[in-house]
Amino acid sequence: MVREIIKYPTPPSVQYATDVRVFNENIFSLIDDLKETIQANALKGLAAFQIGSYYNVVVIKQEDGSFLELINPRLLSTEGKITTVETTAYFPGLSAEVQRHDKISVIYQDRNAQQHSLKAEGDLSVLLQRKIDYTFGSSFLHKLSKEEKAKFEKKLEFGADVAISEVCPTRFKRDYLTKLSNILLTILGFILVASLFISNEQTLATLWDSQLTISYVALVTNVIYFFYAQYEGRGFTSCSSCQIGNIIGTVVISLTKLSLIMILSYFLVNPA
Amino acid sequence: MARLVVLGGGVSGHTAATFAAKWLGSAHEVVVVTPNAKWNWIPSNIWVGVGQMSKEEVTFDLAPVYAKAGITYKQAKALSLNPEGNETSDKPFVTVEFTETGKAGTTENIEYDYIINATGPKLNFGATPGLGEGSNLGEFTVSVCTADHAVHAAEELEKCIQTMKKGERQKFLIGTGHGMCTCQGAAFEYIFNIEHELNKAGVRDMADIKWISNESFLGDFGVGGLHMKTMGYAVSSKIFAESLFTERGVDWIIGAHVNKVEKGKAHYELLDGSYGEEEFDFSMLIPPFAGVGLKAYAKDGSDITATVFAPNGFMKVDANYAAGAYENWKATDWPKTYQNPTYSNMFACGIAFAPPHPISKPMSSPNGTPINPTPPRTGMPSGIIGKAVAHSICDKILKGENAPLHEASMAHMGAACVASAGKGLFNGTAAAMTIYPVVPDFDKYPGTGRDTDYTFGEIGLAGHWIKHILHHLFIWKAKLKAGWTLIPE
Repeated sequence: MVREIIKYPTPPSVQYATDVRVFNENIFSLIDDLKETIQANALKGLAAFQIGSYYNVVVIKQEDGSFLELINPRLLSTEGKITTVETTAYFPGLSAEVQRHDKISVIYQDRNAQQHSLKAEGDLSVLLQRKIDYTFGSSFLHKLSKEEKAKFEKKLEFGADVAISEVCPTRFKRDYLTKLSNILLTILGFILVASLFISNEQTLATLWDSQLTISYVALVTNVIYFFYAQYEGRGFTSCSSCQIGNIIGTVVISLTKLSLIMILSYFLVNPA
Repeated sequence: MARLVVLGGGVSGHTAATFAAKWLGSAHEVVVVTPNAKWNWIPSNIWVGVGQMSKEEVTFDLAPVYAKAGITYKQAKALSLNPEGNETSDKPFVTVEFTETGKAGTTENIEYDYIINATGPKLNFGATPGLGEGSNLGEFTVSVCTADHAVHAAEELEKCIQTMKKGERQKFLIGTGHGMCTCQGAAFEYIFNIEHELNKAGVRDMADIKWISNESFLGDFGVGGLHMKTMGYAVSSKIFAESLFTERGVDWIIGAHVNKVEKGKAHYELLDGSYGEEEFDFSMLIPPFAGVGLKAYAKDGSDITATVFAPNGFMKVDANYAAGAYENWKATDWPKTYQNPTYSNMFACGIAFAPPHPISKPMSSPNGTPINPTPPRTGMPSGIIGKAVAHSICDKILKGENAPLHEASMAHMGAACVASAGKGLFNGTAAAMTIYPVVPDFDKYPGTGRDTDYTFGEIGLAGHWIKHILHHLFIWKAKLKAGWTLIPE
């Protein structure tokens, strides 16, 4: 049966990606559906994940027209890096530059649960890597460089979060606020050091005034960070409650630095 | 007056013994038999292994703690069990050999009413040629399994750092030293702590760091991976782990059984049947675990070791050891009470009980070599199981032989794991992960076998702080200081 391929902006799978444990008619029927769907849409391959099944099954259409069935595939070893322009049925009409391994070794099981291995390079290697990523709940969006991802996201009408939500990310937009706060603290520190070489009281008074202004901006930046970070964090349900700890920690560290610099400045810069 | 003997003073044994002593009071006796004079908070050994903590910070003397708790402490290792007694007495006993200075080598038979086997594992370095002999670490690699090993590892790491400062590149190979290892988490922590320290030392650009493990995918951790739910579907920890490895510039080899180690070189076989070798200047490879080699004898002196223990040396408990193939595995295969099926006054907890089967998908190479992680039993489940077993025994002693047993199945409990990825008050990081249940229940949770509403993962500074706080908290608890019973396992 030809199945509907899930396309953006529908989230790509109903439930979970998991290994096949029981090799029965359900799996064989799923494989047949994948083949028919590949034929009907003139595709090179499909992961079961792409048609809404949670099983780790991949079917590839080979150059001679035959099908390669891979159950529970694992990408074992890799060699070399290549950058390719990739498309996927999930994002029709869109492409992105993705860095992949040139040569790979894959192990998988057949319908009889027998284990096999294959080595692939070039196009087949890239195709297999992309499909195996799907079996673990990911698409090529996770493999894009920061710049390429930003470029790709602009092409998506509803943004990337609708399609492939991140695993709790290691970089957030709130990090820009942390960066701003750090820059302000660096300027404050620089003024503090510079004041040691200045004896003119008027200049020192000007410097102290600017320090006060910058410190207020730094303080406000931290307050904004504290609330924005929590707002942003709500979008990532996979993040643990450690997130609030990270936010509090970051603010405490920043405010401690700010307080130390301003206390020192009060005695060393402030001429009053 | 009943006597409970606890073999082993690690996380599980120490928890069981201290709670039993508290619940039983002075009317009954608790005896701890452990070959070590010191208690070691093993999770912090990775920080000793990178020179960020001293051995003294992760260990303390057991004798004063047990004296305070009213526990009889024997610094000795258990050799054999006689659960039916011997020809002259029906009273069961355990034969121990003392290890403390002055009494070393002498043996004693300790009679018991109940016994808990919490001996932990034998570090089976000898399983891989070149990794070591028996339970002794070899000369080519380092280990963080014990505090002494970790001190040695830190010294070797410092030598490498000095070599790099002189302009010579160094290769680091960290991971598992056999196809049937567990504890990938410890190796994971160590590799990222090394990466962090090399950065701090300013020599990261002179180091090639590589991961080698028996997992069939990065992020398996011996539990078949974690699935973190987002947007109504779940993403595997593989994606999370690969991002972290790529971000930190760490390369990886997976599905590997290290079959031989030489000076500066590890030989391995992969799941696809191919063979390879990897050179290194510094390598930390976790050894496989085995039972400590306890023997068991019947009343007439005949050897009943195979009745009491599984072939890998771990003690048989109330698990289903006949589950068979992967597709037949069920959550109910896992033990609940940890009682030995033959002798009802014998229990096992922590790493010492024989699990029914792995948690990760079983795999082997075309050459027939099994290559898959064995099930981890980390601190949290070990502590919970130790406490449950102590509770069961105390109830039997205080309420009568027919008191119901307490249950603590790994298929019903969740676990939280905080894996350090670098130590530092302001720049440290750790991955905090929760998983429920530890053993997948495919009937209750079709798909991954786990409740993804309770499975989280995040990396950050707070994780490091939690890890550091836990270090102090658990040492406080183990020393039985004020409020120790309030600190969870």
